[in-house]
Amino acid sequence: QDLICIQSVDGMLMLFEQESYSFGRFLPGFLLPGPLTYSSRTDSFITVSSCRQVESYRYQVLALAKDAETQETEQQKIGSGKKLVVDWISNIGEQALDICVVSFNQLVSSVFVLGERNFFCLKDNGQIRFIKKLDHSPSCFLPYSVSGTVINTLIGNHNSILHIYQDVTLKWATQLPHIPVAVRLGKLLNLKGVIVTLSDSGHLQCSYLGTDPSLFQAPKVEARNINYEEYDAEMNKLQKIIKEARKIKDILPKSENNEDFALAVTVLPDLDSVSQAVDSEIKAEVIPSVMIKIKVDSTLATRTKLTVGVPSPLALTQNSFILELESSVSKTVVLSAFLKGNYLPADLKGSVLASYNTPTGAPRVAQCKFRLPLRLVCSPAQPSKTASQKLTIDTNKPTVSLITLFPDFADQSDEDQINVLGFQLLAGSRVTLLASKTSQRYRIQSEQLEDIWLITKELTLRLEQHFGRQNCKDFVCTFSGPIPLQDYFDIIDHHFELRLNAAKYEQLLAERAIQFRAIERRLLARFKDKTPAPLQHLDTLLEGTYRQVIALADAAEENQAIMFQAFTKLKSATQLVILLISLWQKLSADQVAILEATFLPLTQNTQELGWEECVDASISHLLKTCLSKSSKDHALTLFNQLCIPKDTSRLKKHITLLFDRLAKGGRMSLNPDLDCHQAMLLSGGCDTIPESDFEERPPSQNSTMFTNQGHLDKQDIKP
Amino acid sequence: MGLEMDPLLHALSYFRRRKFQLCSDLCSQLLEKEPGDQAAWCLKMRALTEMVYVDEIDVDQEGIAEMMLDENAIAQVARPGTSLKAPGTGQGAGPSQAIRPLTQTGRPLTGFVRPSTQAGRPGSIEQAIKTPRTAHTARPMTSASGRYVRLGTASMLTNPDGPFINVSKLNLNNYAQKPKLAKTLFEYIFHHESDVKNALDLAAYATQHAQFKDWWWKVQIGKCYYRLGLYREAETQFKSALRQQDMVDTILYLAKVYSRLDQPLTALNVFKQGLEQFPGEVSLLCGMARIHEEMNNISAAAECYKDVLKQDNTHVEAIACIASNHFYSDQPEIALRFYRRLLQMGIYNSQLFNNLGLCCFYAQQYDMILSSFERALSLAESEEEAADVWYNLGHVAVGIGDTNLAYQCFKLTLANNNDHAESYNNLAVLEMQKGHIEQARVFLQTASSIAPHMYEPHFNFAVLSEKVGDLQRSYIAAQKSKETFPEHVDTQQLIKQLKQHFARV
Repeated sequence: QDLICIQSVDGMLMLFEQESYSFGRFLPGFLLPGPLTYSSRTDSFITVSSCRQVESYRYQVLALAKDAETQETEQQKIGSGKKLVVDWISNIGEQALDICVVSFNQLVSSVFVLGERNFFCLKDNGQIRFIKKLDHSPSCFLPYSVSGTVINTLIGNHNSILHIYQDVTLKWATQLPHIPVAVRLGKLLNLKGVIVTLSDSGHLQCSYLGTDPSLFQAPKVEARNINYEEYDAEMNKLQKIIKEARKIKDILPKSENNEDFALAVTVLPDLDSVSQAVDSEIKAEVIPSVMIKIKVDSTLATRTKLTVGVPSPLALTQNSFILELESSVSKTVVLSAFLKGNYLPADLKGSVLASYNTPTGAPRVAQCKFRLPLRLVCSPAQPSKTASQKLTIDTNKPTVSLITLFPDFADQSDEDQINVLGFQLLAGSRVTLLASKTSQRYRIQSEQLEDIWLITKELTLRLEQHFGRQNCKDFVCTFSGPIPLQDYFDIIDHHFELRLNAAKYEQLLAERAIQFRAIERRLLARFKDKTPAPLQHLDTLLEGTYRQVIALADAAEENQAIMFQAFTKLKSATQLVILLISLWQKLSADQVAILEATFLPLTQNTQELGWEECVDASISHLLKTCLSKSSKDHALTLFNQLCIPKDTSRLKKHITLLFDRLAKGGRMSLNPDLDCHQAMLLSGGCDTIPESDFEERPPSQNSTMFTNQGHLDKQDIKP
Repeated sequence: MGLEMDPLLHALSYFRRRKFQLCSDLCSQLLEKEPGDQAAWCLKMRALTEMVYVDEIDVDQEGIAEMMLDENAIAQVARPGTSLKAPGTGQGAGPSQAIRPLTQTGRPLTGFVRPSTQAGRPGSIEQAIKTPRTAHTARPMTSASGRYVRLGTASMLTNPDGPFINVSKLNLNNYAQKPKLAKTLFEYIFHHESDVKNALDLAAYATQHAQFKDWWWKVQIGKCYYRLGLYREAETQFKSALRQQDMVDTILYLAKVYSRLDQPLTALNVFKQGLEQFPGEVSLLCGMARIHEEMNNISAAAECYKDVLKQDNTHVEAIACIASNHFYSDQPEIALRFYRRLLQMGIYNSQLFNNLGLCCFYAQQYDMILSSFERALSLAESEEEAADVWYNLGHVAVGIGDTNLAYQCFKLTLANNNDHAESYNNLAVLEMQKGHIEQARVFLQTASSIAPHMYEPHFNFAVLSEKVGDLQRSYIAAQKSKETFPEHVDTQQLIKQLKQHFARV
């Protein structure tokens, strides 16, 4: 007599005796159909429900429970079968894919459940016999008993691998050509134990476990006949190239004239009629701005990035452009420059940088510099008679009328301006320029040393231009000294003091932060305690520390802004001092370049590595090498690490010494210095070092060795 | 035939075949027709969860905040052999640092990368922040919770028209009373939305509703606590769950809690008890091996891995770890056999060929070296991998005495990975041999700044400075070398020699 049980998607079990319908029952708590099986030994149906439990219903209980049809009318499908009592429940905590009952003999039978992550074996009263955690998501399984003593299980997974377990021990693993959705053992003709697998697409495969391992065949790299002569020749060629490349000491390749790409900048002579300035901090009515035109010519069709830079506090309306260039069509971009911050820039030079790729993919840059007009930072004003800072520039030609020199500042009608001109700096004091009527002198005076710089620079530039136009080759400016070192030192001191302040703030912040973390930790411990102790004002303390931290951070930020201004002032003053000393001692252009490199390091001025120690190191280097008086100074002592000095007295002493030596006719040069440096190195390097003292680093086996396959899958999911 | 498959059954079939997107689409159609269809709703949740599912046991991330504000620490300085924080204090059964390189956290290189391999336990927050941030550093993430949030937002990709369920609007208490829905909903909130707080709420209601009799809910609460960093609470939940029902996963979670609490010995005990319940369970054996390895007890780890292989001889992690262990204990031939086994299993990647090449070299099977490395290079997926292969090729070149080739190989390593400290060190040695002292010094300084955990650059720098006559610097560098590798005999001798010098002065 055959009985058939059918489970429907809505959770009804229909039982047929032969072909006649006998009864239907709804399973309690049903949501999604799970796997179902029948255990003949206990005469019960075993299923895995949506509650993630293995449930067993006895046939007798099912048969005696209320009929499904009557239930349906009363209670609308769900919540039916209140009388349907479960025989046993085992909570496995996951959804199951399949369930199977295997019995050794009449005495023992086991229920095997293939979960989504684990493989369970239960006794027929629902107790767990063993669990096997699966590494990969399984797709199907088949437990079967071998010769009535042990039970083997075939488990197929979604990596198309079929594992054969004996209890929990892996006995065999084999690769299948497809993902199996079902697996059975078959006996075909006389062939026993054929593994029959069904694929997703409906293909059936019969296979057996061969003893022949399917050796993984790594794909051939690329078979080729080695022609040793050719290889040797190529190798020699390459070696030669490498050797050549290593000979060149200079990393930068020699610049070639680039005809493919041209960059041209024009600064319009007149200020914008309508100011383009935005967000300026200056309180003036009209902030002057000037238009800059950048023209890019290229024979290549390429994508170019233009970056325009001006020294702060000057700012631009837009500082970067991305251009899609077409070949042989020039493009022009327009922008405006204006003064943004409420202090003076140290320089009026700006630069444009274009980066592009050649058709071969090599990155290239083109650069172009420009100078912004003085009108951007100052306006004409009444000259003032009194000033604390005065500088006198001598020339060897009769004075030129200031109207001709500064036509953009002069008012044509005013006769006085031949000799006297006033400049009102937008963010600073008033500077007065006087041209002597009798002698060949110009005088620049102001309240602040650093404010003089821009005007002095402009004056020397314009004088040179003026005489250059008249073809006067022997025009020379001189300065009779003395250099206002004291005022310069004051500026250095001011900057240094701010740096010390910053260090102080940093230290305080660190202390407060440590305090904050300590309080936080205590609070956390209090809050996590099962029986919370009183806070004892820890929260107030936390709040207070937090306020302190924020206040300190604000103060540090403010200090930083002031320091930035002070540094700009320092740069202005430094440039002025360099200009003065070069005029005074009539230094040549490369001497000036060395001085500039010494005093204006390219590094950023940061707390860790600031201006003072950089300059001090460079000056002491100069003093010890090319400006040294005696040969014993040549002995190079190695510098210690650069760090913020205690005070500036050493730096001041060195600066004074440097200027003294320059005044006594000392001249700087780089070449002897380099030679002596190398000689020192060689003398040190003469000692040969025995090889054995050095350790080779043992081969690091790649720390990234293998990632488990299953693991990889999971990581892919992780974004 | 007018018979069409029931759409729900169709969706279920898709789900079984792990075609989750199709399954979720089909469920969405069903839900459009009948918004109250619980079965479709539940199935869609399951499909979405499976799409982003990562076994919680494998997720192991510890942020700076979690590490530094660790109020679970029992003692500031742990007794030797009881903590993961001071791995060097173990039994010291493995090969010395001179033979087996260390990672940045002071553990020997392992044969297998797993999520926790690179987790470091720096001593203070300053140190944690100052750890150089290169591609492979041990610098911990700033915050683990932040990462979970990102995981949560990333899961929105699976359903572009906004979240499938608006978790904050659900009445969790209501759902907790429906056991058939609650478990699925919980997994959805936990894995897909990564919304631990709501998940915890739901689990708390549900366990109450189940009268604290369902071990599953306790494990889930424990998982939530673990993510929230409440390890002690997680521990109680897991223990309570284990009292009701022994499960492999629960044991693994509990051990994970203990290793996070820095109690590796307790974790090992948990594993041992678990093995009594589930003899031969691979994941438990493997967990034991990992803890042994993290405590620098390499030989015990190798034993565990061997046990793993007895149960499952296709276990990649075990094979790789045993192989690398053999390699570093000067048995490259045996390591070679293990790596060949991996190759035979169908693992085909750059790392394997790299290791094969190295083993061949040390086992003096010179015919295979270059072809292995050639394959490794062609299979390298990232520049870092290529850099490692070039580095090892450089070693081979050093071994056969071709310093020119070695130099070029190390240069190529640096071209591929600019942070390769070992290459800098070896380049410095080569430069030294050529007599370029200044160049060598620069390389050594670079190496020691990139990888402060290596003693070689410090020691080499000390030797170099000593030869040049700069005893002060030599002494400082030797001290640093001693700090990272106290047992190094040459360093000790150098320091002694320097001290004699100073005494004479």
